[in-house]
Amino acid sequence: MKHIETIETRNLCESAKNGGCGECQTSCQSACKTSCGIANQKCENVKEND
Amino acid sequence: MIHQFKLGGFNVVLDVFSGGIHIVDDVAYDVIENFEKGDENRVVGILSGKYAEEDIRECYSQVSALKGEGKLFTPDTYAEMAGELKEKTGGVIKALCLHVAHTCNLNCEYCFASQGKYHGERAVMSFSVAKRAMDFLVENSGKRRNLEVDFFGGEPLMNFDVVKKTVEYARSIEKEKNKNFRFTLTTNGVLLDDEVIDFCNKEMSNVVLSLDGRKEVHDRYRVDYSGNGSWEKIVPKFKKLVEKRGGKNYYMRGTFTHFNTDFTEDIKEMLDLGFTELSMEPVVCAKGDKNELTDADLPVLLGQYEKLAEMMIERDKRGKPFTFYHYMLDLKGGPCVYKRISGCGSGTEYMAVTPWGDLYPCHQFVGEEKFRLGDIYSGVTNEKIREEFRNCNVYARRDCDGCWAKLYCSGGCAANAYHATGSVKGVYKYGCELFRKRIECAIVVALAKMRNARENADS
Repeated sequence: MKHIETIETRNLCESAKNGGCGECQTSCQSACKTSCGIANQKCENVKEND
Repeated sequence: MIHQFKLGGFNVVLDVFSGGIHIVDDVAYDVIENFEKGDENRVVGILSGKYAEEDIRECYSQVSALKGEGKLFTPDTYAEMAGELKEKTGGVIKALCLHVAHTCNLNCEYCFASQGKYHGERAVMSFSVAKRAMDFLVENSGKRRNLEVDFFGGEPLMNFDVVKKTVEYARSIEKEKNKNFRFTLTTNGVLLDDEVIDFCNKEMSNVVLSLDGRKEVHDRYRVDYSGNGSWEKIVPKFKKLVEKRGGKNYYMRGTFTHFNTDFTEDIKEMLDLGFTELSMEPVVCAKGDKNELTDADLPVLLGQYEKLAEMMIERDKRGKPFTFYHYMLDLKGGPCVYKRISGCGSGTEYMAVTPWGDLYPCHQFVGEEKFRLGDIYSGVTNEKIREEFRNCNVYARRDCDGCWAKLYCSGGCAANAYHATGSVKGVYKYGCELFRKRIECAIVVALAKMRNARENADS
């Protein structure tokens, strides 16, 4: 599109269908230990990311 | 919900609930800003003095199409799912923060754990407690395969023997229990030697190394009990550890306070020392503490985060990239929406274990008696507190309702919220300001890296 470039991102609505396996890292474990960030974590659901 | 901002030469439009990100020109930026104020003719009327009617109508049609595709103005349909993940995994614990040493060989004034003692007595964890903690984790982890254990303190290397034995024990049971232990160690570096370095590089999936950056900044706080700075002593050790690590994960983690709000200078120092995996955190301290970040510091800090983004983009362009923990953003493969709305796992899937085997919702609650959950022998007995944390998600925090960043922080840190407001369901508003800026910067860094990669491929 001329005015809008849409970046390829994970569709969160779609992720609601198959997500929630819970294998991902606990939020601030192994890292900052003083704040909570979620977006910088990896999805560990191997099947869904295939 | 839409969040739009201009930063680093990009006009960015974030469609909060689909996670969609768009780079737009000025016409589209303004059309999106006014899109919900009325129909097409109304939007044309608002913007006709600024842009050609043809462009406005073209944009309007593109925005309408994207809305139809679920990429703009996506409604929030997640509220009912907010408690689902924790309910589904109810009672399953997958991570422990093992306080192997409530003591420290440094005497850092800004330490949230009061020099490692957590407002209590000095103590080290026995192997028998640590072993039981590993069994407790396995017993309570259900079908979860990946289990995380963080050796924490105080200074965990003051109890290195127990760290070694605990890893050895966990490795001895992981196959038969069908588990995969991921260990982490957080250290001030003072006791690192060749043996410890080799052990950490073999067994720890991540090491967190405490360094505040510039020598004078680091040595202001990170001193021994005679008041001597530790920078000279630890930097060569950290260099050795990282050189021998063979690319495995590590974070050089610093703290900034009211006295070094120009923290990008500390990041530059870390880079000059050859470290590339970096994290700088705002200090956590009591209200009124002289180290506390002030309202007057806030605009300075926001500017620093933008400066940091510029540094990252520029270095990426030169082929010398570095990682900043809070700017790590995997646009294509980040966490699913369940994770994003469930909130921090403290008190449910994640707990801290004291040297005596007591359980707390997380390391930051250790020493606050009313948050004691139980112990590794009898399990969680304080159901009231567990329930409070189980119900803690982004939709339970009313202050988060209108916030565009809520699917990036998931409601933030319960400990910060508690200390700022007296409730784990409150929010630490100062932290929110910093967080929102970090996410804007993280998005722009990700977009600029994509642009850099495209330009490199073209040239």
